[in-house]
Amino acid sequence: MYKELRDLIFELAKKPGTAGDEHAASHAALEKLSRYMPATLDALGNVRGGLAGPGAHIMLEAHIDQIGLIVTRVDENGFVMFEACGGADTRVLEAHEVTVWGKSPLFGVVVTLPPHLSKKEDAAKAKDMSDLAIDTGLPSGQAMALIRPGDRITLNGGHRALAGNRICGPALDDRIGVAAVLRCLELLKEKPHDCRLSVVFSVQEETGGSGAAAGGYSAQADEALVVDVSFASAPDIPKEKSAELGKGPMPGIAPSLDTTMWERLLEIADRHRIPAQVEVMGGGTGTDADKIQNAGAGIRAALISIPLRNMHTAVEIADLTDVENAAVLMAQYIAERGKNA
Amino acid sequence: MKQLITELSAIPGVSGRESEVREFIISKIKDVSEYSVDALGNLLVMKKGKRRPSHKVMLAAHMDEVGLIISYITEDGFLKFAPVGRVLPRVLMGRPVLVGSNAVPGAIGVKPVHLLKEDEKKALPETDSLYIDIGAFSREEARGLVKPGDTAVFCSNPVSFGDGFMKGRALDDRVGCAVLVEMIRGDLEFDTWFAFTVQEEVGLRGAKTAAFQINPDYAIVVETTTAADIPGVNDEKRVCLLGEGPAVSFMDRSTTYDHRLYQTVMETAAAKGIKAQPKTVVAGGNDAGVIHTSRAGVRTLTVSVPCRYLHSASCVIKESDAAETAKLVKALATQFADA
Repeated sequence: MYKELRDLIFELAKKPGTAGDEHAASHAALEKLSRYMPATLDALGNVRGGLAGPGAHIMLEAHIDQIGLIVTRVDENGFVMFEACGGADTRVLEAHEVTVWGKSPLFGVVVTLPPHLSKKEDAAKAKDMSDLAIDTGLPSGQAMALIRPGDRITLNGGHRALAGNRICGPALDDRIGVAAVLRCLELLKEKPHDCRLSVVFSVQEETGGSGAAAGGYSAQADEALVVDVSFASAPDIPKEKSAELGKGPMPGIAPSLDTTMWERLLEIADRHRIPAQVEVMGGGTGTDADKIQNAGAGIRAALISIPLRNMHTAVEIADLTDVENAAVLMAQYIAERGKNA
Repeated sequence: MKQLITELSAIPGVSGRESEVREFIISKIKDVSEYSVDALGNLLVMKKGKRRPSHKVMLAAHMDEVGLIISYITEDGFLKFAPVGRVLPRVLMGRPVLVGSNAVPGAIGVKPVHLLKEDEKKALPETDSLYIDIGAFSREEARGLVKPGDTAVFCSNPVSFGDGFMKGRALDDRVGCAVLVEMIRGDLEFDTWFAFTVQEEVGLRGAKTAAFQINPDYAIVVETTTAADIPGVNDEKRVCLLGEGPAVSFMDRSTTYDHRLYQTVMETAAAKGIKAQPKTVVAGGNDAGVIHTSRAGVRTLTVSVPCRYLHSASCVIKESDAAETAKLVKALATQFADA
């Protein structure tokens, strides 16, 4: 099941798009979006599309960037020093395979010491990122010619299907959101509605949301449906901070989100038997929704989160049914929003 | 040899489950030599040379690799595991793995960085608290795919990169296996004995019975050893350097090597123009530990290909070091047989 959706996600997620260097991922998404509406890239690199309609103006948004690392220096032996670009987790980096996006893509390994040379007292301590380096196997001259400070680095992982409808790999945060928006547009082809639509796939969510701020301002929509990921349950995660994988997308409620939209989403999910779970946040959401709500004269915003395990690692895990149901929920919302305008 | 190293390092063979590695090696040597498989799974090979040796020389390399073994499946379908050999949490967290003989894909779960308290951000969990997620929602669903007792390896394909470097999962010690296979497939001056051993990573278990059976006068263990030639490590702690040829051990945690024999190796390397370097930190141990004490004692050496990031998904060697190691081992085997 969901083979097409899985292929779409993997195709989008294998393109690199570390915050501020989303070019490859953006172009893949632009090509897909152009099948549904005229689309272009804006000044910051956001993918933007629009479709006219007489009814309410609804913005669909997901971020196109992913977390990664950024080169700070190449040392005298050709090792590459780096810092985080977005919320990278230093605990998972040692011995990780990476790609350095230099003049050409270069394979590398993050250095580590084996157990034979590790001290017992260091066993429980993760290294500071500034004490790590990437081994590209290149002598310094060659490394310096190919790699410059500012080049981005992604964690290698590869994408694979797991048991049932679960999938695993890097950058599912938030390419599954992008895929959900595209899938929603596909569903709307069969669903009459009179909404005006704006789609934004924003850059730089992982470094603060600059893309969404500009994208929201440009769209000036009445309402925004933002699709991002949130924590799925796992053995070491408190139940109150997570949702179940496979039990549906999570319409969220928070001070920065619009209560009427939230209630409408839950009511639609209930009436159409679309699986959904609720996510409650006490302040901002930590997603692009916060930026969009605040853009220009303000936009009512709803957040639909897709449960994700191992967020910000190369083994993010999601369930395709949750992605599909996020798309179904948004499509139904848009179809009914037209009538309710 | 590069092709052979690549193929060998991709085969899963966690300690106690070496059969796929053994079958592969047998397929490469069965037409050119006699072989047998012993009770523990060691592959013992005798290759005829042009002449009968005055001393019996055994070359040994271990077939097994470190990995994980599934110990328990939780109600929610997560797999608990024990490490087989020494594998640290820092190289396990957030890595893709393949479980069991059907290579069921999974990943070692990680609490997202967003949910960590300040003091947790630099803290590594204990191996006990880690689990493998194969995407199953229940014990029943998981049991359809895997079972306790299955072993798991890192999902890590061989890659050639940089200036003649190779990355692979099980280079420790498939590089040694590759060196031996190449020797068997080539012409030898003297009859020579080879042991492809099991269970090195869990206490040098296979080498003990292999040495007992072959009963050699001299043994050369062909291994990988840790190279710490990376940023943040002082020169005196680097052990050995990639690109400087095989590392020869004078002492490690399992063996104090015959000093005259050690000196002979360095002299032979120099005389023949083969790159070699001393292993300059007393650390680690290998099959030499049980081979040199076999029966009434065996003169034993260890010659290792320097390897970065041992016991992780990303072992890294330099191809030229493997080639130099092969040259040195062959020269020494001939020298000892004729001694």
